Parts: sequence; structure tokens; C-alpha cells
Amino acid sequence: MTGYVGGLVFGLSGGMVIALAALFGVWWERKVAGRIQMRLGPTEIGPAGVFQALADTIKLLLKEDITPRQADKKLFRVAPFLVFTPIAMSLVVIPFANGWAPLDTSVGMLFYLAVPAVSVIGILIAGFSSGNTYATLGGIRGAAQMISYELPRTLSVLAIAILAGTLAPVEVMARYEWWWFPVSLLGFIVFFISSVAELNRAPFNIPEADSELVAGYFADYSGIRWAIFMMSEYGGIVATSYFGAAIFLGGSQGIGGVLGVLLIFLKAILLITVIIWVGWTFPRFRSDQLLTLAWKVLTPMALVQIVIVGVIIPWL
Amino acid sequence: MSFDGPFMIQLALGVVALLTALAVVAVREITRMAVALGVFLLSVAGLFLFYGASFLAAAEVFVYVGGVLVLMLFAIMLVQRTDAGRAALESRHDIGSASVAIGLFVMLTVALRGVSNRFQGSPAGSSVPELADVLMGSRLVQYEMAGLLLLVALVAVIVIAGGDEQ
Amino acid sequence: MMGVLVSVAVFCIGVYGVLTRRDIVGVLASVEVMLAGAMLALVAIASSADSATGVRPLAESIEAVGLLLLVIAASEAAVGLALLVSVARRRGVTRIDELQEVKG
Repeated sequence: MTGYVGGLVFGLSGGMVIALAALFGVWWERKVAGRIQMRLGPTEIGPAGVFQALADTIKLLLKEDITPRQADKKLFRVAPFLVFTPIAMSLVVIPFANGWAPLDTSVGMLFYLAVPAVSVIGILIAGFSSGNTYATLGGIRGAAQMISYELPRTLSVLAIAILAGTLAPVEVMARYEWWWFPVSLLGFIVFFISSVAELNRAPFNIPEADSELVAGYFADYSGIRWAIFMMSEYGGIVATSYFGAAIFLGGSQGIGGVLGVLLIFLKAILLITVIIWVGWTFPRFRSDQLLTLAWKVLTPMALVQIVIVGVIIPWL
Repeated sequence: MSFDGPFMIQLALGVVALLTALAVVAVREITRMAVALGVFLLSVAGLFLFYGASFLAAAEVFVYVGGVLVLMLFAIMLVQRTDAGRAALESRHDIGSASVAIGLFVMLTVALRGVSNRFQGSPAGSSVPELADVLMGSRLVQYEMAGLLLLVALVAVIVIAGGDEQ
Repeated sequence: MMGVLVSVAVFCIGVYGVLTRRDIVGVLASVEVMLAGAMLALVAIASSADSATGVRPLAESIEAVGLLLLVIAASEAAVGLALLVSVARRRGVTRIDELQEVKG
């Protein structure tokens, strides 16, 4: 039974890692955003304010966990976990070091694309069960957006799968060559934009547009359940950045040991920073612009990318 | 039949699949039905994974839970604009339907007994390259037909659902 | 063995749902349950070896068939839901027993 105990220990430690990553993400976002706006960001708690996010989390833990009277109580309470669990699960196939991923499976890339998609259900359920029109609208918008952007995202990853001839992220990283980057640049752009949209991050934060929908599908949540939504957002950012760094940017580039871990970490941090930068720079899209971008720009771009790769492959 | 780890996993997934399937059929509230259907499909994907069909499992999660189920919730919302999540699903439970279902179960179990007794080895996985060879090789025609079917379905959906805006 | 039993049971539960549900959405969900049951039977049988000869019956090929089945099920659901939306817009009802205009 050691396998099961090991799995349990691994799952629990994985949860801790995501919580830490989310704390770090919140702090990093506030710092980067502050610098962009010529502010300092959090400075008080800990060196350069590192423990600010931790203090905020403790505050959130102590807050009252409100369930609205009109809500469908059971579903309302379950929804944050339906959003969080798939995103946490998607971290399992990401190669954090050279030649090592927590779960090295032959369908890793498909797994990474498929499992976070389940969190759409959580968003819809959260929107519905709140019994609040703003929340329901936010849920519908979120689902429409995530479904639309899944297509270009999957297609863009396909280009790398064709180049590498495998669906295992660890293998992709092992086979990565420098000229893949210019060849798959178009796909990388599509992947990046559609991932930001998939995460409901600004400028694609239409489902939670604070000026129109209060806070969208999690308008009625408070305390720890709200914190879980936030954690899944930052967990998603970390997962996407790591995945993008591993697949499109070559990850650790065959360098083993601590140096390789550091290399992929730096690449992921770079992507996280760009996501935050984009979010604090561009104004929010309108719903129709959002769908136009997905169907008329990104999907054709991803298809062109696949054709490019298809043309190049026989010349190798 | 030994009660080891794999057997227990199979048993647990099977029980979850059966219970959630019952919930899909009997629950009276649409959002709960959707959640039950989601868990059901996930447990079926888990069973696929257990039987070594990992690609099929991932595809099932991708297409069904991420696609069809969301589409279903969408359709419900479009149809019942007010109070969408609360609409009661009616069903007419009667002896006739139950006996048809039970009769079918008995019949199919007896019919498949030979097959299931013959194939009892431990599950072994199939690899992605092998699957690709099959899809792009001996089953190429079916593969292309499936693509065509999807295209036709796409056009049909647009015509049926979007065609009557005056 | 158990996989086959579970798949048959799931399929029959789906059949019961199709027979008893009165709302189109419920019927569609039950059809999805039936299809999942059929697919499960396919995979469960294909995955295990023949106990007499030790040969596995074309697991890759059957997984490919499963994928095609998935495609068919997805397009069935899409067209069915489009019909649901269209019917609800024109008639305002989604209950099957109220949609019987063809009946003489």
C-alpha cells in the first residue's frame, strides 16, 4: 500500500505547494503592478512585504463564511472546490525539472489541456447557485469565454506536439531544439493570449468585470471560499506559465540538477510577469470583441501554425 | 478474484459511476443533474484510465466534461431564461420502464457472460503512437468520416439553433 | 468481468432514464449515460487478455473505435441541444409529452 500512502503524501504536499505559489503570485502581482504604476507595492510586512499575502490569507481565514439565503446551499459551498481541484490536478503533468514531472504520462499535454477545462463547470455552478443575476451572468460569460478559447489553445499546442512527435511534456523538453522557437512563434503567441483568456485574467476578465458585474460569478463569496477562487486563479497562472515555458520555450534545455530547475523557474517567472504586465496595461475587451478575437484571429493563426509545421517536417 | 489495490480502485470507480448514473436519471434539479453527469463522466474516464486507455480517458474529459456538459448547461440557460438553475426536471417513474431496464440488464449480462469470462487478464495500456498508427492507417476512412460528421454537425447546429432570428 | 457488469448496469440505467424522463434535457443526459456505458464495455473487454491464449484483442484498434464513438456522441449531443433550443424558442416548452403535434 506504500503507493497509495505516497500518493496521499504527494497530494497533500502538492496542495501546500499550490497555496505557496498562490501566495507568491499575489505578492508578485502587487509588486509588479506597483512598479508599473510607479508605486512600491506592499512594503510593511516582512522584507519587501513578502509576508503581506500571508497576512491577508490569515485575515480571510478568520472572516465569516457567508452563504446567501437565496443560494442553492450545497452547490454554492462545493463550487469553489470544483474550480480549484482541476487546476491543482493540471500541475501534476508539468515538468518542473529536467526529465522529471510528478506524473510522467504519455498523454501529458492532452491531460494538461483537458483537466483544467473541468473548472468551467465549477464557474457555471458558482454563478448559478448564488441565486444572483450578476453572478449568473458572470458564470455564463466565463463559460462562453473558456469554451471559445480552448480551441485555439489546443491547436497551438498541437504544433509543438507535431514537432516533438510526442504528447509527453518531459519528452518534449528533452527533444527541444533552439529553432523550434522561431518556427512555433505564432503558436506561442496564440497559446499565450488564449491562456490569459482561459484564466479570466485582465484584459479578458469579462466574467468578473468589476465595473459591470460587481465580481461576476464569485460576487457572493467571502472569506475562505473567496480565497479558494483567488488561489485557483494564481495556481492557473503558475501552471500556464510553467507549461508554456516547458513546451514553447524549451524548459530546462537538457540541463539537469538545480540549474535546470532554476532555468525553467526563471522562464516561468518571465511569463508570469508578462501576464501581470499585460493585465495592468490593456483595457478590458468587450464580449463581442472577445469572441471575434477567438474565432476570427486566433483560431486561423493556430491553423496557419500547424500548416507551417506540417510543411517544415518533411525537410528535416 | 482477489481484493487487492487495483480491484478496490475498480470497485470504487464502478460504484461511483453507478450511483451518479442513477442520480442523472432520477434527480429533479437541473444543476444537480449536471454535477452528477460531470462526476459520472469523470468516473468513467477514471475507469478508462484504469483499463489502460489513457488517451481515450483524456479525450473523454476534454470533449464531454469540458464541452458537452457545458453546452448542455448553456442550452438550459438559453431555454429557461429566468431562474435557470432551479427548473425542476420531471420524470414519470413506472414499473414498465423499470422492468424493461432490468430485463435488458439480465439479458445483456447473460449475453456478455461468455465474453467477459474469456477476457479476464490484467489491464494493459496502449501507447499513443500505436493509436496514431491505427487512426492514420487501417482506420483512416473512419477517421475522415468522423471529421466529416463533425463538420456536418457543426453546420447543422448553426442552421438549427441560429436560423430563426427575424 | 466487473467492468463489463458496470457498463451493462450503466447502460440499463441510461435506458431507464430515456424511458422515464419527460424533459428533453433529461433524455439527452440519459442518452449520454447509455453511450458512456457502451464505450466502457468496449474498453473493458479490449483491455484484458484472452485467458485461454493470452492474446489482447487489438486494444489500439478498439481505443480508436472508442474515439470515433466519442465523436459521434459529441455531435449527437450538439445537434440534440440545438434542436432543444430551437423547439423551446418556437413552442416555449421542452417537455416531450407536450410536443406531439404530428400525432393525429
